[in-house]
Amino acid sequence: MTYKIQINDLVRDATAEEAAQIEAAQAEAVAQNEAQIAKQISRQAVLNKLGLTADEAAALLG
Amino acid sequence: MAIQDFTAGQVLTAVQMDNLQANDYNQTVSTKTASYTLVAADKGTRVVMNSASATTITVNTSLFSAGDTLFLQNISTGVCTVTAGTATVSSAGPLAIPQNGSGTLYFTSAGVSIYYPSAVTATPSGLTLISATTIGTAVSSVTVSGAFSSTYDNYEIKISGGVGSAGGALSLQLGATTTGYYKAGNVNSYAGLFNGTATANAANWNNVGTHATNVLSGQIWLFDPNLAKPTKFISNYQFTGTTGDSSQQSGFLDNSTQYTAFTITPGTGTLTGGTIRVYGYQNS
Repeated sequence: MTYKIQINDLVRDATAEEAAQIEAAQAEAVAQNEAQIAKQISRQAVLNKLGLTADEAAALLG
Repeated sequence: MAIQDFTAGQVLTAVQMDNLQANDYNQTVSTKTASYTLVAADKGTRVVMNSASATTITVNTSLFSAGDTLFLQNISTGVCTVTAGTATVSSAGPLAIPQNGSGTLYFTSAGVSIYYPSAVTATPSGLTLISATTIGTAVSSVTVSGAFSSTYDNYEIKISGGVGSAGGALSLQLGATTTGYYKAGNVNSYAGLFNGTATANAANWNNVGTHATNVLSGQIWLFDPNLAKPTKFISNYQFTGTTGDSSQQSGFLDNSTQYTAFTITPGTGTLTGGTIRVYGYQNS
């Protein structure tokens, strides 16, 4: 895939190395996002187990 | 009296002599009430701007010679800016002349001049705009170089005005460093879900901003990026969708590298439009 990168006001095609760096950064972002979603799911599972709503949990932690 | 061109055989009158001499002790003045373009006859005289509105003094080539000087002065509230027309004008100081300000314009050749503003102690601004980078179309990353220097220890980066091709989180990388980024914070949905986030020894600081098809948002404060000590940061963003979220993050980069540049990368897709502004906090 061709990526366009910008350095100050210059926009150009990314080199192979730069493209790999973009893909690595985006892969890490996806991984972090998935970890966050997994945490949300696990949190919701605990709330369900306790029979609490999100508001009640927030009030409890607040 | 403007400079005269005496020719062979011409009689120099006492009046002319007095006028020429007077210019040395009581400089010839021409007052302008609107923007003005210098003419050859201004050589050696004092041009006084007197306008409540902003004005310019335009400097063109082939009117003056190497060594020629003239004095520029502003006596009114409208700021007058010395402006390069077809000649160049360089200066180590500001080209804007405030009320009661002045300076000397000195020509090193017919088309090259230097403006020497009279010493004025400028009041340092607490926050100075260092750069404003307009984001291009469908770019996968934006690097801002020359952002950090020894002039400031602490910086603020504001990202706003553009959009992403899809929704995701912005990440920030300093220089070419792709390891050692630590942070902790939270991403809280407007619906009331509070989620703590933390990453250790990551390749960048993620979640310093957000992007979607209707928003690009991020505020990042960087501490000591150009000093030989770990860079610290605080960030937040505000997603503008009613089912979205906002985030606050902070952390540090585990090295003592001195950085001058940073790169912003969308979590997915590309960015289009908007501006990345970098501000420096005055040290003292």
